[in-house]
Amino acid sequence: MKTRDAMKVLAAHRGGSLAVCALGMASNEWWAATKSEETFYVHGAMGFAASFALGLALSLPKEHVLLFNADGSLCMNLGCLLTEAGAAPKNLKHFVVDNRVYQTVSAVPMVNRNLSDYVGIARAAGIAKAREIDNVADLERLAPEIMASDGPYFVNLRVEAESAHLAVPPNNYEGAEVKFRFGRAVEKRLGIKVFGPQGY
Amino acid sequence: MEPYQRIHEELTRVGVTLAATLPDDWVGPLIGRLDADPSVIHVPVAREAEAVTICSGAFFGGVRSVAVIGNTGLLTCTGELATLNLRHQIPVFCIVSMRGSIDDHRVYQEIQGRRTIPLLQAYDFPYHVVDRLDEIGCIPNAYEACRLQKRPFILFLTRRLLKGQ
Repeated sequence: MKTRDAMKVLAAHRGGSLAVCALGMASNEWWAATKSEETFYVHGAMGFAASFALGLALSLPKEHVLLFNADGSLCMNLGCLLTEAGAAPKNLKHFVVDNRVYQTVSAVPMVNRNLSDYVGIARAAGIAKAREIDNVADLERLAPEIMASDGPYFVNLRVEAESAHLAVPPNNYEGAEVKFRFGRAVEKRLGIKVFGPQGY
Repeated sequence: MEPYQRIHEELTRVGVTLAATLPDDWVGPLIGRLDADPSVIHVPVAREAEAVTICSGAFFGGVRSVAVIGNTGLLTCTGELATLNLRHQIPVFCIVSMRGSIDDHRVYQEIQGRRTIPLLQAYDFPYHVVDRLDEIGCIPNAYEACRLQKRPFILFLTRRLLKGQ
């Protein structure tokens, strides 16, 4: 399964979900598939997009939140799985795009890639709904069920390693603009106030 | 009145409804109060950077939050505070025990006492030190300053405030 194809399937099944993308190729592919501004594209804090998504999900319990994490990011913050299991947000789906390499740095192999089992780690952390999907047909078949299920739900998307760095460009805005576009999109859709009367 | 009760009162006044915490023994009682408050979503975390990034995500849900951590933990998450919060201009309000002060005679806190403030200054993270019970009323102003400055804001609590003389 290619990352692009997986993102296209999930984009088609996302409904009205908000999304959070960890920095990396999956984020670029999500942007290419959706051009979504109801997505926060995290441009730093590698490993902690998962925690950011958890905070978003807990603050908006009636909204669905999709997290697109990566294997390198997950390994930088495996403790996020303990916290996620403890908080047990029903509205959070945690997808890990697992290509077993650090793709944006010339596909350097992931640490311990031949032995690690992220689904097993998630289950052992207390996330009962955890599964791996390694082909597009299964993802197409299971996506509706995953999206409709209560979370937390951990899905390891086993994808092919690809070598072309930045073959798909990232979203064409950055920094504070990510904050304001996402925050304003949330305000518009949900009718809530993220920013105060003076804009901060 | 206990300082923890006053801090809790001021956080309630500010509208804080989510707290992400990792205990240090000085702030443990405050965490206990927040945990017992049914109006607060309490998220215990495994690492301090989780606390500040959970609060950062909650900002976009329109929820006011606080990260309650120790000074050592603050040092561990400065990278995340810089690359997430400075990069995207996201405010995050942190209440932090000011370990390593001259009255904190724990040898493993000594570096934190000497290097934390210069580190915050290097990052241009604003901070304010609360040393006495009657200074806790600064929290609403500190919280507003955090939002206005759109970056991490550290509210330090001293040993004298939390543990007495």
